[in-house]
Amino acid sequence: MDTILNIDGVSKRFGGLLALADVSFEVKKGHILGLIGPNGAGKTTMFNCIAGIYTPTEGTITFDKGGAPVSVGGSRPEQMTQMGVARTFQNIRLFGSLPVLDNVRIGRHCRAAQGFWGAVLRTKAQKAEEKLLVEQSLEYLDFVGLKHKALDLSSSLSYGDQRRLEIARALASQPKLLLLDEPAAGMNPQETGSLVDLIHAILEKDVTVVLIEHDMKLVMSICEHLVVLDHGVKIAEGGPREIRENPEVIEAYLGRGAAHA
Amino acid sequence: MTGQSTALKLLGLCALLAFPLMPFSSEYVLHVAVLIMVYAVLAMGLNVLPGFCDLLDLGYVGFYGIGAYTAGILSLNYDMSFWVVVPLAAALGALCGVLRGAPTLRLSGDYFAIVTFGFTELVVLFLTNEIWLTRGPLGMPGIPPIDINLSWLGIDWRYDFMSETPYYYLGLLMVAFVYVVMCRIEDSRLGRAWLSIKEDPLAAASCGINLMAYKSVAFAFSAAVGALAGCFMARWSMFLAPDVFKFWESFLVLCMIVLGGLGNINGAIVGSVVLIALGEVLRVVLPHFGLPTETRFLAYGLLMILIMRFKPGGIFPAIAATSKKSRLIMDLKARLQAERAG
Ligand SMILES: Nc1ncnc2c1ncn2[C@@H]1O[C@H](COP(=O)(O)OP(=O)(O)OP(=O)(O)O)[C@@H](O)[C@H]1O
Ligand SMILES: [Mg+2]
Repeated sequence: MDTILNIDGVSKRFGGLLALADVSFEVKKGHILGLIGPNGAGKTTMFNCIAGIYTPTEGTITFDKGGAPVSVGGSRPEQMTQMGVARTFQNIRLFGSLPVLDNVRIGRHCRAAQGFWGAVLRTKAQKAEEKLLVEQSLEYLDFVGLKHKALDLSSSLSYGDQRRLEIARALASQPKLLLLDEPAAGMNPQETGSLVDLIHAILEKDVTVVLIEHDMKLVMSICEHLVVLDHGVKIAEGGPREIRENPEVIEAYLGRGAAHA
Repeated sequence: MTGQSTALKLLGLCALLAFPLMPFSSEYVLHVAVLIMVYAVLAMGLNVLPGFCDLLDLGYVGFYGIGAYTAGILSLNYDMSFWVVVPLAAALGALCGVLRGAPTLRLSGDYFAIVTFGFTELVVLFLTNEIWLTRGPLGMPGIPPIDINLSWLGIDWRYDFMSETPYYYLGLLMVAFVYVVMCRIEDSRLGRAWLSIKEDPLAAASCGINLMAYKSVAFAFSAAVGALAGCFMARWSMFLAPDVFKFWESFLVLCMIVLGGLGNINGAIVGSVVLIALGEVLRVVLPHFGLPTETRFLAYGLLMILIMRFKPGGIFPAIAATSKKSRLIMDLKARLQAERAG
């Protein structure tokens, strides 16, 4: 099985705080990996290191964008997106004053080309691209079930729909690797149910997924492989059953009741 | 609905075109109208930074000054035609815009505001002290008016802009040109990238937008528009002095776009109409109360406080307004409605 992302000895220090301490794991192409751990464990920090928002203090991150794997630690966010890494945010970061459609069109930015002169002169190529952008964006909206709300203001959407829109915006950049940061947070059970379907549909599109989530039922049901962080340290790794029975994980995160859940 | 609004637009256009022919259109009234047009262009140009990209620019008239003095110097010393000077001044403005923004690219927005504030002071100091080039505080009189000379085509025909009327029409053309360009950019990949930077720079970068590159384009474009307005102004007023380009002018233009609605192109125009017209009225009214005309700044301040209190988004608060009315989106709207009904 091919590795799409390799985290090798990554540490991230914020002043005196070691948010990630020598963490290593691999993400297999076409699979879904769950990243779990208690609050403040360093999960989001790991995402930020992968997505180019932070530069790891130590360690290397290699990403296989097709062809040979390249070392990407310290790349800028837009470079990572261009290479095929997209992400959603734990605290939703939509372009709230813009319509739903524009959020996805902006998400598709790196797969389009027209610039200043195309916009001013309205060349044939520019018009064709604008038309294509709308059509493609609608497809992504349709995929997450928001097509009928394409022209609504994105801040007017419900919480669950905003999370879906973030996923559509991320997918619009045609990622090979999608990082989902607590996509089920704030969703009701029904919305969570359809999120599971959505994640399965994403995997079927040949997109590799890394999922941070506190909803253990969700994580255990869809992730084949889990990595557990605690205080910046990787304390366990393995399949759902293994993790559920791991005494260290129970101690740090799941609590004693979880093994029987 | 669309038929009605096009009819209304046509009527407005006719009114604008017929305006100089009206009996009340004295040279003074036309002068104020042209002044409004110059400020409308400035307001639209400034709007690119705080309105589209959320970059607070406190020194925009620096580019107005650079454009004006470029036009003045090239016209006076080298006898260059207005039509040649415009692209040169705009290009120089764009270059200065990028140079001014470059040091702030890696810093947060607040630093940008500080640098822009320093920039206007620098421009005024330069214009005041480089006497060999700008004649300093004496100012630059005798700049020739705009002319249209077809001798380069082999046709012996020449028209000099001797009254306010031709400036009115040229100004109208300039406003229309800048307006169309602004709208086209707002409703494009570039415009959306700018708006995403305004909304959330981190999310924008995660969408694949190179913040530095897109901010640089904004710096260049905004500055080029300011220089264009300066060019026109120099050949219209035919006299330049450094203190025309003081900080207060930048502040006035900023008030216009805040009043009209940050990020809204129509708002920029409406804001300039309101504030320039108000300024002219106050100039006549204030002396009657024994107040110096500078007290008009108090009135501007009062107006800004009122707008902040009662309509904090400005007269037109919507952003990305052009896109909403574009053919592509109107078609999509109809399609979605049909799908919902069907
Ligand atoms: N930019 C930063 N500056 C300083 N400290 C930070 C920064 N970002 C994160 N931290 C710290 O790093 C630690 C890990 O934070 P992180 O957000 O990665 O946790 P998390 O596992 O995502 O937690 P949660 O489940 O609550 O989202 C926390 O102690 C946090 O306060
Ligand atoms: Mg987190």
